[in-house]
Amino acid sequence: MTFLELTEGPLWYAASAIFVVGVLWRLAGIVRLGGPRDLSVPRASATAGAIKGIFLHMVPHGGFFSRTKFHFFAGYLFHLGLFVLVLFAAPHVLFIEERLLGFGWPALPRWGFILVAEATFAGLILLWLRRLTDPVMRQLSDGDDLAGTVLTFVALLTGCLALQESHDSLRALHMLSVEVLMVYFPFSRLMHAFTFAFSRAYTGASYGRRGVVP
Amino acid sequence: MTFVHSIVRALRLAALLLAISFAAMTTLTGGPGLGAPALAQTGVETPMEEPSPGSGKVPGRSIGNASDAEIWRAVRHGLQGNVSLPDKQAGLLVQSEGEEWRSIRNGPVTKFGGWLLLGMVGVAALYFALRGRIPIKDGRSGIRVPRFTQTQRVVHWFTASLYVLLGLSGLIMLYGKHVLIPLFGPEVFGAIASAAMQGHNLFGPLFAFAIVALFFVFLEHNRFRWADVKWWLSLGGFVGGHPKCGFYNGGEKVWYWMAVALGLTIAVSGLLLDFPFILAAPQKLQIAHLVHNIAGVAIIAGGVGHIYLGTVGMDGALEAMTRGDVDANWAKEHHDLWYQETIAAQQTARQTVAQGAAAEVTT
Repeated sequence: MTFLELTEGPLWYAASAIFVVGVLWRLAGIVRLGGPRDLSVPRASATAGAIKGIFLHMVPHGGFFSRTKFHFFAGYLFHLGLFVLVLFAAPHVLFIEERLLGFGWPALPRWGFILVAEATFAGLILLWLRRLTDPVMRQLSDGDDLAGTVLTFVALLTGCLALQESHDSLRALHMLSVEVLMVYFPFSRLMHAFTFAFSRAYTGASYGRRGVVP
Repeated sequence: MTFVHSIVRALRLAALLLAISFAAMTTLTGGPGLGAPALAQTGVETPMEEPSPGSGKVPGRSIGNASDAEIWRAVRHGLQGNVSLPDKQAGLLVQSEGEEWRSIRNGPVTKFGGWLLLGMVGVAALYFALRGRIPIKDGRSGIRVPRFTQTQRVVHWFTASLYVLLGLSGLIMLYGKHVLIPLFGPEVFGAIASAAMQGHNLFGPLFAFAIVALFFVFLEHNRFRWADVKWWLSLGGFVGGHPKCGFYNGGEKVWYWMAVALGLTIAVSGLLLDFPFILAAPQKLQIAHLVHNIAGVAIIAGGVGHIYLGTVGMDGALEAMTRGDVDANWAKEHHDLWYQETIAAQQTARQTVAQGAAAEVTT
């Protein structure tokens, strides 16, 4: 068995299983926590408040923008870029079609991939630099943030280094780095990719129930 | 009849033996017999008409029929033909200047660039061995003086991280075959070189943004002043004690302008190489590539000194870029003019605040 076969075979299935089970287990744990029982008569719909909470908090409001513009731009640059790369990079679409779903969708052209990859890298580096240079952020950060950032950076980097698709070893290295990231994901703050919706919905629902726009 | 038949059979046998031996000799020697000179070595000159260039005839007094040697020679030297493709460059089969580019790139650029890089590392190592880490003369005061804003630090480290990624990948492409092939073999080097090239092309355009941002963010304080001339005349303190100096010393200013000039050169030449259709002509791309290589080696060499002094070479320097502030004694020792200005500005600000508070109390 070659290194590539190992990373695209047993390691891929193991990492996928840990990722899926781990994420579901974490989400189920959050859902099972529930919330305190509220006996008051609701003034408005909690569900509407939850939905509003999810979408309204995608942009800062009031005077927050001037204080958060750096990580607002860098954050969107990175997160949107990563989302597009994961789902629309041509080798990923092919992999999803051949290995996961049996169907694919139009992929990014090469120039589009390069443009998005550059934006994603710029966003990730800028976000990390902010974490390092801001005294408050530095106090709030720990090893989990460092590990999550480094693993994401390495997965992105190995993917871009394998762009020429001329060496199996580079593809295998990318697969391995993604698998390490997938295994680490459910047990780290990277879970915010899923839990952000839960926390916003919770806050939105509690405010919405009181008739306040969250 | 029997006698006649015997003679005929003997002659047949002799002829057969002769034929076999001739065939064997011809096969072995490629000629009519061992030791026999080749036809071209016989010295017999065949009179031939002198062909005109491009006629398809072989020039000179040689034996042979019509040949395309002259055409191929012209092609080898860059003769361009006509093609019906939209890309007229496709009519050029052999781009001869490429040989010159290759020999310059693999010759002086690689050789002198390598010596420059090794020399810089050697000088830094020797300096560290002789002088060690330069301490803060009066020790740490515990008082912090703000030096760089968060924006300046983010831009600095953004540029620095790209500098490291691009520098490493660039060095792999330039020196990898000399250093990595003996270590890992050609196959592993092939993968590393491919990865380095993809990474280099990907991060390159980001560096263009970074160097422009660096230029604007650090422009203030980097204009040359008379104090910088004095700083250089004293060789940065080697002659006649530590010279007076403002926010940056003369050496730091030269590095700033050098980094900006080389960085912009690298960025522009790199973008031209990333988008080759802009220059189109291979000769221009080769010039851009040589400029890119030379500027790249120069900025890496300069960066060695910058990184050395900013990290292991001098106590108290790195925190200016990591924390944004420095110890007051470090500021007083290395940037005394700036320190005095800062203290004066702080005192003025305090007085203004105190006067404002006093005015509020009286009203």
